Amino acid sequence: MDSAVRIDTPADTVYHLKAGGAGAILAINELSLWYGAAQALHGVQMSVEKGLVTALIGPSGCGKSTLLRCINRMNDLVDGLRIEGEIRLNGEDIYHKSADVIALRKRMGMVFQKPNPFPMTIYENVVYPLKVDGVRDKALLEETCERALRGAALWNEVKDRLDQSALGMSGGQQQRLCIARAIAADPEVLLMDEPCSALDPIATAKIEDLINDLAGQYTVVIVTHNMQQAARVSDNTAFMYLGRLIEYGDTETIFQTPKSPKTQDYVTGRFG
Amino acid sequence: MTDSYIPRGQAASAENTAGRRTDLRSRGEPALWSLGGALALGIIMILGFLALVFSNGIATFIPKPIAVVTETGGQVTAGEPFRSESFRPTVEEVATLPPDWQARIKSAGGMVNRTLYRMGNFDVYGEDFRWVADYAVAKREFPANMVFVERMEWGPFIGTVKALTIDGNAQPFKSIEDPVFLQAHQQALDRADDIRDIERGRIGDINHRLENERLALRKVELAEGRTSAAYRDAQDRLNTLSVTLQRDYDALAAEVTKLREASARNTLTLAAVGGEEKTIEFAALVRIYPANDLGFWGKVGVYLSRWGEFLGGEPREANTEGGVFPAIFGTAAMTLLMVLVVAPFGVITALYLREYAKQGRLVSFVRISVNNLAGVPSIVYGVFGLGFFAYVLGGSIDALFYPERLPSPTFGTGGLLWSALTLALLTVPVVIVATEEALAAVPRSMREGSLACGASKWQTIKYIVLPRAMPGVMTGVILAMARGAGEVAPLMLVGVVKLAPELPIDGIFPFVHLERSFMHLGFHIFDVGFQSRNAEAGKPMVFVTTVLLIALVTIVNAAAIILRSRLKRRFAGSQF
Ligand SMILES: Nc1ncnc2c1ncn2[C@@H]1O[C@H](COP(=O)(O)OP(=O)(O)OP(=O)(O)O)[C@@H](O)[C@H]1O
Ligand SMILES: [Mg+2]
Repeated sequence: MDSAVRIDTPADTVYHLKAGGAGAILAINELSLWYGAAQALHGVQMSVEKGLVTALIGPSGCGKSTLLRCINRMNDLVDGLRIEGEIRLNGEDIYHKSADVIALRKRMGMVFQKPNPFPMTIYENVVYPLKVDGVRDKALLEETCERALRGAALWNEVKDRLDQSALGMSGGQQQRLCIARAIAADPEVLLMDEPCSALDPIATAKIEDLINDLAGQYTVVIVTHNMQQAARVSDNTAFMYLGRLIEYGDTETIFQTPKSPKTQDYVTGRFG
Repeated sequence: MTDSYIPRGQAASAENTAGRRTDLRSRGEPALWSLGGALALGIIMILGFLALVFSNGIATFIPKPIAVVTETGGQVTAGEPFRSESFRPTVEEVATLPPDWQARIKSAGGMVNRTLYRMGNFDVYGEDFRWVADYAVAKREFPANMVFVERMEWGPFIGTVKALTIDGNAQPFKSIEDPVFLQAHQQALDRADDIRDIERGRIGDINHRLENERLALRKVELAEGRTSAAYRDAQDRLNTLSVTLQRDYDALAAEVTKLREASARNTLTLAAVGGEEKTIEFAALVRIYPANDLGFWGKVGVYLSRWGEFLGGEPREANTEGGVFPAIFGTAAMTLLMVLVVAPFGVITALYLREYAKQGRLVSFVRISVNNLAGVPSIVYGVFGLGFFAYVLGGSIDALFYPERLPSPTFGTGGLLWSALTLALLTVPVVIVATEEALAAVPRSMREGSLACGASKWQTIKYIVLPRAMPGVMTGVILAMARGAGEVAPLMLVGVVKLAPELPIDGIFPFVHLERSFMHLGFHIFDVGFQSRNAEAGKPMVFVTTVLLIALVTIVNAAAIILRSRLKRRFAGSQF
């Protein structure tokens, strides 16, 4: 599209991170990724600040979901996948041979683009992460369920029908249920891949409020196509393009005075 | 729409097409008609088939009137009109007829109608059926005193009741509703039941215990030799047991003899139309009714009681009469056992193929082979079942666990277990294919959601994938069950018999006898229809049994489908 901008190495990435985070919880180091022969990530280098909301933006197909799914190793399911570089969670290499994927995923929550509640009751959905963790203590499960549902601003709507199927809820409620499920096991990092793309504006607003509330308590990494949303909810924003990290810094700067012309074009809507 | 919206080239062609109709063929109309026609034809064939089977099957047990036909030659025939058809009498025969019949036959193109009568009384006449041509009929009546008697042996008797002996005393016969008569009949049936209980139950028990002790002795002999002390002990035990059991047996035998004597003092003397008399015991009397003197409710009563006997009773007379309960039981037991084997086996295989095996050439090859297995002729499975299950596996089991019973085989011959396994093998591809499809249809988002929660692969399969795939698995199991319940050919090799002395499940330890041969409805149909002495008499039973088999398969499938839709409903969201 625009071949004037040439970015080859991560050194070309422009960084201007917001101060005030409690240090980096995630460190992504020279991460490159191939789907078979096709390279989807080119040496991505970034760190995610603890307790802040980090947004990933960029045109479709630029590798946002790929990057996000690397963080909790959801990409492991893909055949023919190859990864170079490393991701460190609190200093531990999550792609190390001895790393325990399941334990890693327990430390992370993930919310997907389309709500994916399980075909069970609302209660069972929320406590699923604990159930697979072997928790059988009923009092603890109930307490967790309430806390998670309150955290996801859903408690008041569903407290009388916890034993009904989750599939009978509205799309927005289902997505908040998925958020409740993601935070039920108290994860360190919450990964969200376009959590509002299937929702109407009111439900979107609710979830944005929710993300704002969750910030501080959790570290949130959110992928979004909606600039306003990124501007509203995030502290830091990473702009990606064709598998490369172009600019990464505090949200205000990215949206108002981006350093890279590529970012400028994207956030002003000239392409994307 | 104004012209300006249409680009120039298209505007021209739009003018050309104005007023022209689209070609019928391009609209697909003829294709639609042929598709609809094919569907209609298919449905008509199926409905026709069902109608034929059901109309024949349902009507079989309706009591028919008894006609007494006097022929011009003087011969008298009494029987149920069975069926009529048109036939061509020989020229010589036509020549002997009176002129008006000759003219009638000629005008009908040499054809004339004749009727087949079911005369019964096989022991008197030596045949059950007789054709009577219309021209030979001098007189046809339906006398009210004719009775239709179903007997334990020799098939039905058709004639009149002559005399009655109750407890050795001759009694006047009034009517079939006479309480004296009914009571005598009931008592006789109770006595017959008692005899059966003693012979099958208690004497069977004695034989069973004796046999067990004998086997124990043989076991000791095999293990320790004839000279050992243990052998002598066992022999002593057998001897003492034999003595007591022999005493029990003698007592029971005496009891039976007494009952039989009592039975013999209660008889019914019947007379056929030709005057031949026959005396039968009440105990040999299954059912008696005045065929031409039955009201509506009388007919309903006979009809229902015949269905009752059919569904709940044991077969008599080389399976052409009586009930099919052992066959129903055998079919159900075998199908159930098959499902118990095929469902887990198929599901586990499909799980491995779809979820764990690395998708590659080998897995594709396995998958294709599994699909092709479904196309192997079923008799081949029968041969395999006999050769591998019965002879190799069963033979080894016998050698290992039942050496004392050899040379008579226990598991080394056809039986319930081998039949169920053979059919499981036959139907497992259906389950595998259906399960694989169901697993593949579980949305990726569900699996990812579960994995992202920190579930292991197995937990994801257990909690998310399998429940979601359950309706599909059920579909496979239903199909397997339907196929298995109706399969006959392989079973003939691996355990189905014409007449099984015992049910595969009974009160004798260990209650479920997997090694026993059993009866099966499908084989029963074949046997009654084509293997019995009297194919004509068996024909109606073929239809009744077919109706029953269809009903059984339908009921089982309906139950499974209801279960499946229950499961499905759990996954139907009301979103959007
Ligand atoms: N499973 C896969 N196999 C092969 N290629 C893939 C796979 N998933 C993604 N890709 C490719 O990797 C690139 C990045 O995809 P990704 O889904 O990360 O983009 P995205 O930024 O999330 O886009 P969107 O905004 O549309 O969701 C794309 O070119 C895509 O075609
Ligand atoms: Mg994406």
